[in-house]
Amino acid sequence: MNNLYRLFTQQKAIVAIAVILLVMVAAGGDVSRIFFSSYNLLDMLNSSTILVILGLGVTLTVIAGGCDLSIGGILVVSGILSIQLQNFMPMPLALVLAVLFGTLVGFFNGFLVVQQKTEPFIITLGVGLLLTGVAQQLSDAHPVPANNPDFMNISNGYQFGDGQFTEGHFPGIPNLVIIMLICFVFFAWLIRYTSFGRNLYAIGGDYDVARYSGINVVANKWMTLVISGTMAALGGVLLSSKLNTGSAIYGDFTALVVNCGVVVGGTSFAGGVGGIWQSVLGLLLFGLLDNAMNVLNIPSWYQMMLKGTVIVAILWMDSYTQKRKRELV
Amino acid sequence: MDTAGSQIILSIRDVTKSFPGVRALNGVSIDVRRGMVHGVVGENGAGKSTLMKILSGVYKKDTGTIVFDGKTIDHTTPYESMHRGLAIIYQELNLVNSMSVGENIFLGRFKEMKGMRGTHAKARELLDSIGCKVSTTKLVSELSVSTKQMVEISKALSFQSKLIIMDEPSTSLTGEEMSLLVKIIHQLKAQGISIIYISHKLEEIFDFCDVVTVMRDGNVIDTKPRGEFTRDELITKMVGRTIENEYPERSRQVGETLMEVKGINTRKLHDVSFTLRKGEILGLVGLVGAGRTETVRAIFGADRVRGHKVTIGGKPVTIHNPKQAKDAGLGLIPEDRKLQGLVLPFSVEQNISMASIDRFTRFGFLIKSLEKGIGARHVKSLGIKTPNTKVAIKNLSGGNQQKCIVGRWMEIGPSIFIMDEPTKGIDVGAKYEIYLLMKEIAEKGGAVILISSELPEVLNMSNRVLTIYDGRITGEFDPEHIPADVIMRAALGLGGAS
Repeated sequence: MNNLYRLFTQQKAIVAIAVILLVMVAAGGDVSRIFFSSYNLLDMLNSSTILVILGLGVTLTVIAGGCDLSIGGILVVSGILSIQLQNFMPMPLALVLAVLFGTLVGFFNGFLVVQQKTEPFIITLGVGLLLTGVAQQLSDAHPVPANNPDFMNISNGYQFGDGQFTEGHFPGIPNLVIIMLICFVFFAWLIRYTSFGRNLYAIGGDYDVARYSGINVVANKWMTLVISGTMAALGGVLLSSKLNTGSAIYGDFTALVVNCGVVVGGTSFAGGVGGIWQSVLGLLLFGLLDNAMNVLNIPSWYQMMLKGTVIVAILWMDSYTQKRKRELV
Repeated sequence: MDTAGSQIILSIRDVTKSFPGVRALNGVSIDVRRGMVHGVVGENGAGKSTLMKILSGVYKKDTGTIVFDGKTIDHTTPYESMHRGLAIIYQELNLVNSMSVGENIFLGRFKEMKGMRGTHAKARELLDSIGCKVSTTKLVSELSVSTKQMVEISKALSFQSKLIIMDEPSTSLTGEEMSLLVKIIHQLKAQGISIIYISHKLEEIFDFCDVVTVMRDGNVIDTKPRGEFTRDELITKMVGRTIENEYPERSRQVGETLMEVKGINTRKLHDVSFTLRKGEILGLVGLVGAGRTETVRAIFGADRVRGHKVTIGGKPVTIHNPKQAKDAGLGLIPEDRKLQGLVLPFSVEQNISMASIDRFTRFGFLIKSLEKGIGARHVKSLGIKTPNTKVAIKNLSGGNQQKCIVGRWMEIGPSIFIMDEPTKGIDVGAKYEIYLLMKEIAEKGGAVILISSELPEVLNMSNRVLTIYDGRITGEFDPEHIPADVIMRAALGLGGAS
């Protein structure tokens, strides 16, 4: 019971997820049936995967006391590159180069933020904006269609099944979900069970103390932005494959939504706290909310209001319990 | 002095306060009289700070009564208690660095002062009344700790305070600044203002406190006029056991040269060079800001310094950052424990293990059982008082936190241990244990560079003392044979290098 209470006070995202699920059960009738259908649940998970993949990298930067708002820009440029480069080279090479582009941007971000000690929020926001502009140039402000079925199959294919949703038939698992799970396990391991992960917590917890303890703070923190950039590029490639199109518009809100999801999950911008699990929950919450609102047929302007309300409410509740805890001590 | 004569300004009766798992105050009763300096002493975790925080309204008491200036106070906030005439000056001074002196004194009350002109005029008046010459338009960030304290005292006076609580005000003061503070305290006393003076330094208690209260483990052990206490009695009552000596015997196994530092030059330091021998404790003596901390930070690679030469064991080494320092066998206990020593979100165990992460990592994997062993070993060997090693470090008392930082470096086993104010804000018992640790490091063939504002500590622990004044080394002394005042003269830049 005590543990359950702790779970609820410490993990507001779980509470919000539980509330949404209860609402969907309570709605009853067709709404519940559609929402809880295996097709819808899988689709929901599938559409959250790219946000989660981006969130994994961002979580590292936030734990180390930074953040990364350039991921939206990296996402679109890499997405467009992954399609356009295929005109000049075999697909695998094009994809690798598109992902490496993200690595490069991350390296550049790291140089500015960690080496030159600039303000990460504004700098990465600026880099993201710049890249969005680059994406529009590259694509001539039009969607860039792909015409390679193999490319499209990366994100849209299924494993252990054929992807057909019929009665009494296992549809299989979408590739995207599998890729997300692999990344999730890797990052969860990285953060909990490696010295790199531990050092990030120390750096985010107190940069100077970490430095005086002989931790290579610059290299470690720099690395978080490199990883985050790489993951954003991977997300971009997967998104282009999923939609079979690259476009500069997909990145508009992504960076803010992902950073927000990470914080809502419990990885604070203050640094040194949080984790991969928390981020994933925070990001899945957004996917769930979107999907539930669509099933409930809520108009889009109300959707925005509701989303905003959830974000504010969770962060407020979080600060409130933190405050209560401080007063108790 | 007749202590019973004057009127009681603050009466604390049977106050208790519990935190989860800890009884911080256990029926505490103290009377503070008007115009008295009331010293409160006790080890870390004795409950002094908790009591003061209840008085100022940061914490709520569980039971008991508090009567201040004739009024019973049940529930208060820091804001209310200030307006009621009870001011508290914290060790870590509560001033806004980016604002001016005058603005700080009347923060939030500019309207009452009829604008900025009135604010600065009144601030001038208050500062003059305690003999402080600092300009009211100067930014607080540019002031020394001592001047900041003056500003805090002026702020307290601006509320017509009847009682001022000073929480370890002397920790960062030099001798000269200290005597200025004492003068002001006497002056406040003469105006009928009472002062609760919390300190670890017994000299101060005996110097100017009228009444002394000893606390231990959340209880008041004794309250008596100062004259009725002997020094030994006070220490015994504080720690609850007899301490034979305040300092262990000096280690005597000084060997060959271990480290040689040549030509550190920065904006603040001028050609600082010295040697350090095996088995030696080398004391650096100087005023705050003279360059003691800058010197060790330069050696440790914490600040960007180029052009100096360091050799360890005869081999030249390059140290441009703390990591290289660690690899070269140096360890640093930094000056400011909270800011530079602890990762507050981390547990006791994680704070201890964070510098030696390689020791429990295999191919990048953390081996948690090894880490647990490291934490447990140092908690045991250093006698760190904590329920278990997973507790958040912020729940420990200052002395125990400091031991965790010592433990962090003991795990690495540096051959050269730099300790910058290692016993600052630590009680007598824990101090002695830190002294023993230093001695142990030296006797195992390592060396210690010790910086401390407490002169007796440096003089009693060191085999050799260097004085620093204005960024220059002004003398080298054997503290066993050279009287303290000669060393102090050199540290004050009054010549007499030997």
